Amino acid sequence: MKILFRNGLLFDGTTLSCEKTDILTEDGIISRIGKGIDDEGANEVYNLSGLILSPGFIDLHCHLRDPGQEWREDLLSGSRAGAAGGFSTLVCMPNTDPPVDNAALIRYLLEKGEECEGSRILPSGCLSRERAGKTLAEMGKMAIAGAVIFTDDGSPVSDTNLLRLALLYSSRLGVRVMEHPEDRSLTSGAQVNDGICSTFSGLKGWPSSAEASDIFRGVSLSMDTGVPIHFTHVSAKESINAVRIAKASDCKVTCDVTPHHLCLDESMVIGSGYDGVFKVTPPLRSASDTDALWEGIRDGTVDAIATDHAPYHLDEKDLPFQESSFGIASLECAVAAVLDEWKRRKEPCPLERLLSLFTSGPARLLPEKWRTLGLIAAGSPADLTVIDPAFEQTVDVSKWKSKARLTPWNGRTLRGWPVMTVVRGKIAYSLIDRVSGGK
Amino acid sequence: MEWKHRHVLDLDTWERPDLQHILEQARSMDELLDRPIKKVPALRGKLVVNLFFEASTRTRVSFELAEKFLSADVVNWSASGSSTGKGETLRDTAWTLEAMGADAVVIRHGAVGAADYLARKLKKSVVFNGGDGAHSHPTQALLDLYTAWKKIGPLEGKKVAMIGDVLHSRVARSDIIAFSKMGSSVVLSGPATLMPRSVEALGATYDENPRSAVRDADIIYLLRIQKERQDEGMFPSLDEYHQLFGFDAALLKHARPDALVMHPGPINRGVEIASDVADGSQSMILGQVRSGVAIRMALLFVYLGGVRQ
Amino acid sequence: MLIEKAKVMTAQDMERILKRMSHEILERNHGLENMIIVGIQRRGVYLANRLGGILAHFESTRVPSGVLDITLYRDDLTLLHDQPVVHSTSIPNDVNARKILLVDDVLYTGRTIRAAMDALMDLGRPASVQLAVLVDRGHRELPIHPDYIGRTIPTSKNEVIEVRVSELDGKDEVVICERGEG
Repeated sequence: MKILFRNGLLFDGTTLSCEKTDILTEDGIISRIGKGIDDEGANEVYNLSGLILSPGFIDLHCHLRDPGQEWREDLLSGSRAGAAGGFSTLVCMPNTDPPVDNAALIRYLLEKGEECEGSRILPSGCLSRERAGKTLAEMGKMAIAGAVIFTDDGSPVSDTNLLRLALLYSSRLGVRVMEHPEDRSLTSGAQVNDGICSTFSGLKGWPSSAEASDIFRGVSLSMDTGVPIHFTHVSAKESINAVRIAKASDCKVTCDVTPHHLCLDESMVIGSGYDGVFKVTPPLRSASDTDALWEGIRDGTVDAIATDHAPYHLDEKDLPFQESSFGIASLECAVAAVLDEWKRRKEPCPLERLLSLFTSGPARLLPEKWRTLGLIAAGSPADLTVIDPAFEQTVDVSKWKSKARLTPWNGRTLRGWPVMTVVRGKIAYSLIDRVSGGK
Repeated sequence: MEWKHRHVLDLDTWERPDLQHILEQARSMDELLDRPIKKVPALRGKLVVNLFFEASTRTRVSFELAEKFLSADVVNWSASGSSTGKGETLRDTAWTLEAMGADAVVIRHGAVGAADYLARKLKKSVVFNGGDGAHSHPTQALLDLYTAWKKIGPLEGKKVAMIGDVLHSRVARSDIIAFSKMGSSVVLSGPATLMPRSVEALGATYDENPRSAVRDADIIYLLRIQKERQDEGMFPSLDEYHQLFGFDAALLKHARPDALVMHPGPINRGVEIASDVADGSQSMILGQVRSGVAIRMALLFVYLGGVRQ
Repeated sequence: MLIEKAKVMTAQDMERILKRMSHEILERNHGLENMIIVGIQRRGVYLANRLGGILAHFESTRVPSGVLDITLYRDDLTLLHDQPVVHSTSIPNDVNARKILLVDDVLYTGRTIRAAMDALMDLGRPASVQLAVLVDRGHRELPIHPDYIGRTIPTSKNEVIEVRVSELDGKDEVVICERGEG
């Protein structure tokens, strides 16, 4: 199977070229990159004139609810949704039922993932046995089986000694520890940002310090052990500052931010009349926190943008705010939401910087064998995402491939969309017509 | 007068003329309460459902009296616990009520956002928020405004000192917004752990010293202190609270000589308020109860009495 | 939008008519004993005050007067355009066993008077209720007939009679208006 992509503006993972480039993929591998590649022998040909041809986007953090909560999402629906959202790779979180804390479940996810027609599925494993935060999970066996990240996401690792042991133990496994930064003693019962939103709503406030203090703790452990640590869904100005300071001291700390914390803020919780669709962990922050996240993107403090796609059944989400579940579903519009916001903010960073946070940025945080996913190079896997920066489309959650039926962006017209997703050399999603070829 | 609000959810979108209109209508309703026959046929044939997920005798009885005095048909629908726990979602309850032909629904619910949620789900019925979690209690704020306005006239330039657990109080949130919109200044006092984060954003200021907070106040508004806040560790003990912030005759001396003492009830004698001031001549606590009926009649009539486009 | 068509009563006309009506009231009731004049909010209140003043002048004695707001008793609110506003009701004396003289500006369908009688009955049991109106414009929908009429003015349903009083409108007059396009 040979597919030829013509005239794309090539983003190779770091640099966006202004020149039209062709790419030929052969049996799931990028075989040639160049100009004027002959279409002879190509099964399919696509003209990507005016479109950006990028390494496939990687979502470092999403909840596919499989196994055990398939009424919310499953690997099949999640994988299709991922492809429709422009992601060729999804790292699914292990806070399922049962939690993914053993090699058998890692193999289950990889095998079932192979059967999915959409995004590539890479599983993460729990850091602690039963995700209970008490003792180490069998990280070695899970690493061998193919786990790409260790995390108790959904919960922090509150036991500082356990987190320290996890860093030490995983250091030889080549798999990074991802901490969900939250000091639970500060967030018990909390629902919204501690600020304007908690003041006006009467809901218990979730202070920024609950996140920043856990990051300071993790940074200390990372410096102590010399082992890298990754903080996910960083939402507050103080947290970004903590990561920035740690990086300046050569600490091996990395972080990701979510599309919703980049695009939405706490005023929307109030403005919507406390619509549960805006309820999420960590909560939507103030506008100045949002600005700080974009500044973190601009100056390199942020390493990746990850969706934290958290789908729920309508009956768990369409409730009065205080009773609604925590989580925002965004997989199918996350990239568009970020591109639209980037445009709306008058391009606060170069586009290639933004694109790298979906590609080479997250790829660097994965085990060695997956790092080529973030690059376009001859011999790399043919995972590609095509972006049309000018395409406008209105989000219609009722048509989503995800099982989620609520998203804050529903009805919003966004500018800049992924229009094609290629996974292992196969077209997993496309709005682009074939020029020729095909059998 | 054109009335632009479709529901009574929160007062943050109301303007001063809206508040003033309701106060004036309440005064007309107040006259009815002195008559031998208090019932008028204004809302004959209108169906009002009182949907109470939280026990609240005061608010429910007050609404029910107001509805009955205006001749509305009244249905009390009590549901305990959260809407999810009972199997039926609030969404289904909403649709059921509308199918029954409810013209208005009064909702009291423990979850913030419940009244807003109901309003989003109902296409025709008017929603009156009878209190949602710690968020909002607009009819209480209006009855408090009315009580003070009836007694001392225009509230512009008046000083309101509010003492107690502002953090967990829907009454405080709505009253701060309402009194501020009428041009009063609101000073909050109480332990710092019981104050919301952005007091200024609400339009109030914070003074940890109750004596200076009360100084020259025209209205002293006391908030209920719940024992469970001590259990949560928000302050060391009720005894210490009473010693530092409890309102008594000594503290009342710092206010203006004719200052009004208000409390949303039910009161905890010997905790946030001493009996001598609760039962004293400046106490408006029972006046507030009467105002509650008048203000709710005014609201019901404004929303259900005329043409709704 | 209302377009003014014709002036049907000047201030002088109005004064003469109110004096004549006062005579009729005195004649029929053999004086003012036991009477309360009740004006219907809002312009009826001012006309009741005028009548009260004239009667006091004729008889050298003051008649008790009150105001009645009937908004809460109406059955035609859905036909009104604006948000209904409830005004004050204040009748100083016990209405039981008294002769009530109800005063309103314009008698039209009769629904206002029906509402006013209901409101009165909730305040007590008057001995009798009489009705005085400045203008009777016809088109009754209920079996109600005034005891004292200032002037009968036949109108079409598309017309509106506006009674203006100096206290509210700056001058005393009655005009016929027509609903125009707009």
